[in-house]
Amino acid sequence: MMQTDGAGPTAELVRMEGVKKHYPVTMGLLLRKNRGVVKAVDDISFAIHGGQTYSLVGESGCGKTTTSRMALMVERPTEGEVYFEGKALGQFNGADKKTFRTAVQAVFQDPWGSLNPRMRVDSIIAEPLVTQRRLTKLEVKTQVNELLDVMGLHPLHASRYPHEFSGGQRQRIAIARALSTRPRLIVLDEPVSALDVSIRAQILNLLKQLQQTYFLSYLLIAHNLATVRYMSHQVGVMYLGKIVEEASPDELFTNPLHPYTKALISASLPAHPRQQGEEIVLTGEVPSPLNPPSGCSFHTRCPFAMDRCSVEAPVYQQIAPGHKVSCHLYADEPTINPA
Amino acid sequence: MQDEPILKVEDLETYFYTRTSVVKAVGGISFELRKGETLGIVGESGSGKSVTAWSILGLVPKPGRIVGGSILYQGENLLEKSDAEMRQIRGRGICMVMQNPLTSLNPVFNVGNQIVETMRMDSNQSASTLRERAVELLAKVHIAAPQARLNSFPHQMSGGMRQRVVGAISISRSPNVLIADEPTTSLDATIQLQYLKLLKEIQAQTGAAIIFITHDFGIVARMCDRVAVMYAGKIVEQANVMDLFDNPSHPYTEGLLRSVPGLDQDVDLLPSIEGQPPNPDDLPPGCSFAPRCSYAYDKCVEYPPEYLIEPDHVARCWMRDDAN
Repeated sequence: MMQTDGAGPTAELVRMEGVKKHYPVTMGLLLRKNRGVVKAVDDISFAIHGGQTYSLVGESGCGKTTTSRMALMVERPTEGEVYFEGKALGQFNGADKKTFRTAVQAVFQDPWGSLNPRMRVDSIIAEPLVTQRRLTKLEVKTQVNELLDVMGLHPLHASRYPHEFSGGQRQRIAIARALSTRPRLIVLDEPVSALDVSIRAQILNLLKQLQQTYFLSYLLIAHNLATVRYMSHQVGVMYLGKIVEEASPDELFTNPLHPYTKALISASLPAHPRQQGEEIVLTGEVPSPLNPPSGCSFHTRCPFAMDRCSVEAPVYQQIAPGHKVSCHLYADEPTINPA
Repeated sequence: MQDEPILKVEDLETYFYTRTSVVKAVGGISFELRKGETLGIVGESGSGKSVTAWSILGLVPKPGRIVGGSILYQGENLLEKSDAEMRQIRGRGICMVMQNPLTSLNPVFNVGNQIVETMRMDSNQSASTLRERAVELLAKVHIAAPQARLNSFPHQMSGGMRQRVVGAISISRSPNVLIADEPTTSLDATIQLQYLKLLKEIQAQTGAAIIFITHDFGIVARMCDRVAVMYAGKIVEQANVMDLFDNPSHPYTEGLLRSVPGLDQDVDLLPSIEGQPPNPDDLPPGCSFAPRCSYAYDKCVEYPPEYLIEPDHVARCWMRDDAN
């Protein structure tokens, strides 16, 4: 079986440091005028550890997907740097890049759109293998069969086309494809939200088992907090391009600090009708990232906003071990090991 | 207080006739909706929940046909109504709430026109009276300065305000029944909460009964009084929300409820339902859930009847036969 030789469970695999991604907004064709920048990701730092899941949650437009694209090296940050196994992506030479491409893979939300309808399942799964490594036909075939087996698919499925499969099976094919290069990190962008409810648990369980077997790291992007709680080791809550709170799922869901995290948790739907907790209804919606509010970008919707919040941006600081938040409500508390 | 049902669906069967097969999208379902009540219809894709909604509204697309049963609205069978009569009932009697409240407004008409247009369907009042009524409606859904807002275009309003306009349109003809088909699936969590609260508020003001069609038990838990769980075109369990969550009596309901991770507990592996939902044009004989059911036994080759678990709580599962 394939087994990646991973470092210890606490070793960092990926680190983002002060990463920003700004997109210029231009107008006009000949005389291009800059109308400003969209700060899709604005100064975020976090680390993904070997064999663990780091999750990003937040509403649409908060920069989760842009962050994942930088982790995949599809986009390069405007400022700051992404490190993979301690090495800056900007310093990569050709060989490093080639290794990186096999070590990092992605699974996307929509298994109807992410699989080429004109390719057979075996070529879909083998495509990354064939482009990344020199293998004989027999080796490729053995590996495809092995992957199908791990995914709970039948070897006969290899010669079929994507349209012959249900959503859950397609997502299994997409995962098999991502696994084929024996990656260290898989970016999971909403991996179950397009699937039927009764199928979601199957796929989540499969992902968890694969993580244990192959010592995989996941960067999970999801809006369903229960999924995040189930899958993650560390969670970052994003709002308008910034991580506003980070903690372990246990800590985050039992002791959320940032008002936005509290609102997200209260807005998530209850698992039982008797569980109608404290309700924080936010007014309005996420402001445009082209023109983010001054001070703390959440102050326009925050039920606890003070005068200070509209003027001064809060510092992202550690409140308890492993629990960071950027909010003026906690500014006066003693900081432990400022990070 | 909730005596006579406002809507009574009995043994409704809606089939789709394709060239090669007959798809039994809705295979004989019955339920009742009482005044002011919120009924949730939960199911996966292909379970027949949207076809149920279309059937009630008389909008089943071809090659679909309602082949059996009855839909009684205020005691009258909708299946015997002419197209013209149905047009009157749609909107005034039974109204569909649009799927995505953020994109369902027409961008080239101002909101005043869009609200008035709906009301003009069944009233020959003057334009100015209708505009006054539109102002009232906007005020009802808490839009500030409603008079001035009549001339706003959708792009000039925030998403929250557009939601409210859509809400105002859906109640403009004072329907008795609102059907909301996956009204919030495309929305972010905090926006979803705003919209659900708006629907509740509209319901409190108008006393309309709501049918919520969803795949999400979370929405049911937050919004509904009663639930019907659909699987492969049939209602497999129907109960009060509390009873259903406390005492799920069909293996499918039980499995679904257990497979949704909670926010307040740590689990190592989720108990999941194996297999996939059956293809609606090739249903297994007997209980359609049997191939995925961990309790399935020899009796399941026949379709189970409805068993009464407790008052107002029914489930279609042979296991209840032994319990009785």
